[in-house]
Amino acid sequence: MNRVTKRTWLMGLFIFILLGGLVLFLWDYARNGDDWVSFTGSPHLYNNTNIGAGTVTDRSATMLLDIGEKRTYASDTTTRKSTLHWLGDRKGFISASAVSHYAAEMSGFDLVNGIYDTSGTGGTATLTLSARVQNAALNAMAGRKGTIGVYNYKTGEILCAVTTPTYDPDNVPDIGENPGGEYEGIYLNRFLQSTYIPGSIFKVVTTSAALECVPDILDKTFTCYGKVEYGEESVTCETAHGKVTLKTALAKSCNCAFAQIAELVGKQNMVKYVERFQVTEPLAFDGVTTARGNYDVSKTAPVSFAWSCIGQYTDQINPARYMTLMGAIAGGGQAAEPYIVSKVSVGEDVTYEAKTTKTDRLMSGETAETVKSFMRNNVQSVYGDWNFPGLNVCAKSGTSQLGGGQTSNAMFAGFVADESYPLAFIVVVENGGYGASTCVPILSKVLTECKAVMDGE
Amino acid sequence: MEDMLELFIASRDTYAADYIGFLRYAVPILAAVLLLRCVLPLLTFKREPEIWAWLNLKDGSQIPITHWENVIGRSKSSDVCINFPTVSRNHAVLTRYDDGSWTISDAGSKDGVLVNGKPVQICALKERDRISIGGVEMKLQPITEKQEIRQSQLRTKAASGWDTVANLLILTIFQCVMVLGYLLTGQKEHFSSILEGFGGIILCQWLLYIFYATIHRSSFELETIAFFLCTLGMAAIATVKPGETVKQLMAMFLGVVTFLAIGWSLRDLERAKIFRYVAVVAGVGFLLVTLVFGTEYYGAKNWLIIGGMSLQPSELTKVCFVFAGASTMDRIMTKRNLILFIVYSVLICGCLALMNDFGAALIFFCAFLVIAYLRSGSVGTVALAITALAFAGVLAFQIAPHALQRFTTWRHIWEDPLYTGYQQTRALMCIASGGLLGLGPEQGLLQYVFAADSDIAFATIAEEWGLILAVMSVLCIAVFGFFSIRTARVARSSFYSIGACTAASVLVIQTMLNCLGTVDVLPFTGVTFPFLSNGGTSMIGAWGLLAFVKASDTRQNASFAVRMQKGSEVA
Repeated sequence: MNRVTKRTWLMGLFIFILLGGLVLFLWDYARNGDDWVSFTGSPHLYNNTNIGAGTVTDRSATMLLDIGEKRTYASDTTTRKSTLHWLGDRKGFISASAVSHYAAEMSGFDLVNGIYDTSGTGGTATLTLSARVQNAALNAMAGRKGTIGVYNYKTGEILCAVTTPTYDPDNVPDIGENPGGEYEGIYLNRFLQSTYIPGSIFKVVTTSAALECVPDILDKTFTCYGKVEYGEESVTCETAHGKVTLKTALAKSCNCAFAQIAELVGKQNMVKYVERFQVTEPLAFDGVTTARGNYDVSKTAPVSFAWSCIGQYTDQINPARYMTLMGAIAGGGQAAEPYIVSKVSVGEDVTYEAKTTKTDRLMSGETAETVKSFMRNNVQSVYGDWNFPGLNVCAKSGTSQLGGGQTSNAMFAGFVADESYPLAFIVVVENGGYGASTCVPILSKVLTECKAVMDGE
Repeated sequence: MEDMLELFIASRDTYAADYIGFLRYAVPILAAVLLLRCVLPLLTFKREPEIWAWLNLKDGSQIPITHWENVIGRSKSSDVCINFPTVSRNHAVLTRYDDGSWTISDAGSKDGVLVNGKPVQICALKERDRISIGGVEMKLQPITEKQEIRQSQLRTKAASGWDTVANLLILTIFQCVMVLGYLLTGQKEHFSSILEGFGGIILCQWLLYIFYATIHRSSFELETIAFFLCTLGMAAIATVKPGETVKQLMAMFLGVVTFLAIGWSLRDLERAKIFRYVAVVAGVGFLLVTLVFGTEYYGAKNWLIIGGMSLQPSELTKVCFVFAGASTMDRIMTKRNLILFIVYSVLICGCLALMNDFGAALIFFCAFLVIAYLRSGSVGTVALAITALAFAGVLAFQIAPHALQRFTTWRHIWEDPLYTGYQQTRALMCIASGGLLGLGPEQGLLQYVFAADSDIAFATIAEEWGLILAVMSVLCIAVFGFFSIRTARVARSSFYSIGACTAASVLVIQTMLNCLGTVDVLPFTGVTFPFLSNGGTSMIGAWGLLAFVKASDTRQNASFAVRMQKGSEVA
């Protein structure tokens, strides 16, 4: 009997595995329970791929969405249209990842009560967006496709991130029909998911690189004859700009001068600085990750390399990322990382509050200051300071050529160098023609609205 | 009546939210109190050394005999160790029977066993018989009837009748609190089936208690725990498939009858040995019948449809297998090889392989390991068996790639949450949604996921009644295991301790595969949770296994499956 008694330890082994496994699971639960609850498709929190309970408001507590079974959007049409891509639609075609990212916080989940306390009602997410600015931006786009982003480079709050085309979720058009391609990419949040050929706004990158690695660049002058030839191919300007410096080359957006500057910088340095400035890196915030840009000059002929420094060739930038780069220049080489969800609360409890995080230092303060002064010069001497009353705007325009007979994309990126209105921005109007002439009026309206909103706060 | 119901429905919204708030705390607290009261006596009862006889040696020294089955030999691990060169390591087995008689049998010793000078294989001992083991002379002196009565009176009492009644009352309150939750939040059309289901369990547990009381048996802890688990299972069914509550209740009734029948057959060791042969034949029979007439569901041909009832005979075979594996000490020592048992195990696993029933085969294999090790004590045998399993496993994956798929999904469920990881990811999402205290009856959403009341019932309970309660259900099964280990030392016969340990192992392993499979700690095998999962044959099988655990409970007047000791009724 003794022997059999002693051998019963074997069963102890099974019990040990059972209890050990259980402890392992409980440990897992304590660490990951919130992720499980908020995982896409979690029955209690999701309706299709979008979060299934809670309320979303803009920065001024304007109700944008009451997520229930019905999903009630804002009361006015323009707000519904201008904020749709951040809220998601009823059918799950547009997924609002940033809001869903805080599903656990919205659910009021805690390890003891699960989601019992808020079951069915959910919490409130406050976005950094301003519905007022969104609407102004949407109206300014006037039916054209593209995106506008504005963010506070000191705090990181995204005030404006409009994407067009969009539609009214309460009055859904027959998107499948798509007459004349007007709904093309309508489910896309262009601010996050698209990449564009940057065109001349990329010259800011080349300028910064030159300032960092070419010691006497500020003393150099370049002559533009309207064309720089590379065998059979060439880099051209619309007119011959004559003798230019780095500063005036940027203001006049002189391609020929930048082809020469490109040579001074060299391929290796250009690749190095594009990487250091994080120009093509995806930007990640609030659970969303933007599209990755492109800068590839590994097997290029000199002419292509020259074009790559002018923002053509195979260059691609994502609007949100480029806006952040503009913020970094404004901030002296470093800026706040953008974010869209500022606060989540459940009843009285604040379950999430955004904190400002800084980007890496992208460039030296000296370079940033010089580029800033150049970009300020652009506005003063070319784009017209009167377009932005009361705002110290620094910017660079771009007209990115698409080929295939398409009208160019109009691009405009920069920032407001002002302590009270630390705003960085990007405007993209697809097939919008000339960068400055198309984008400046749009930006003018948007920045005016931003200023008003900030003054109000 | 109809009017009253309408009135109740109309007014219940007023109380429902408050009541659920109360119920979320009341349910785990009641369960904790109940389980503590049941578990503590099972895990802490004193295991007094009992002396059943004395061996008087020629030199006047006395060796106490502390078990009913004793190995005499030179080996240190013998129950009676006689360190004398002519004594074999395992020389003889001394066995006591229910009627107080003793026999001695030769365990294949070198020099044999002599009784009154004559060599014997097995011999009933009379008073003053001279026993000679390897030249060592001795006489057996059983304790007197008076001593025996005294001894049984000293044995730990299982529980006073009032404790048991109190436990049952707590369990009944627990069940009523749950039912009221359903009445306040559930759908009206399910009321009758929910009332029948829970009411039936309450009735069944009290009837069984009254039956015990009439035969003067007091221990009800194991049964209370089992009824507790059945109640949780009923709650899962009430949410997921309210139409099947009565069916499950019937299965539980049958389970309790099976429990009593097996317990009765185990009560007398001689009777048990006869029933063992019946069980051996029945075990294979069940499987062969399924193989021939079975129906395939979800990839495994392990269902038998008889008159609209679907049965899973492999669940009953488990009980038979435990029966087949249990063995008395003299048998273990005299017929030392396991060949017959191995052949039997291979036969059963072969049938299961043909049925494609992967989960069941795994359970049988583990049960085989337990039995093989308990009987032989040989790590070699166990190692051999595990190697054989590895080969069989490789073969199985060749033949049935869907089995392999479970392993590829294992620990990767979040990578394919909509297809292969669907059940488990939903289970985890819902477990977390429920938190420690649950969302309340019929408030869960896991009910819409396949097998919410069986394969992933653990998660359904956690979602609606809280993780605490779900964890308690697992601990309950672990307690069966601990109790079997503890009680093995005072078992009358190795037949009972092997039976109890194997049965408890099967329960533990099933729980392990079910619960840990659901939460992705182990691969998902679709095995039932004993007493808790929806499934008739599984329920009957679980009660059948519990009978073996019950039969090893030797506390005073504890178990109906242990014959009452003389004189103890007086106490």
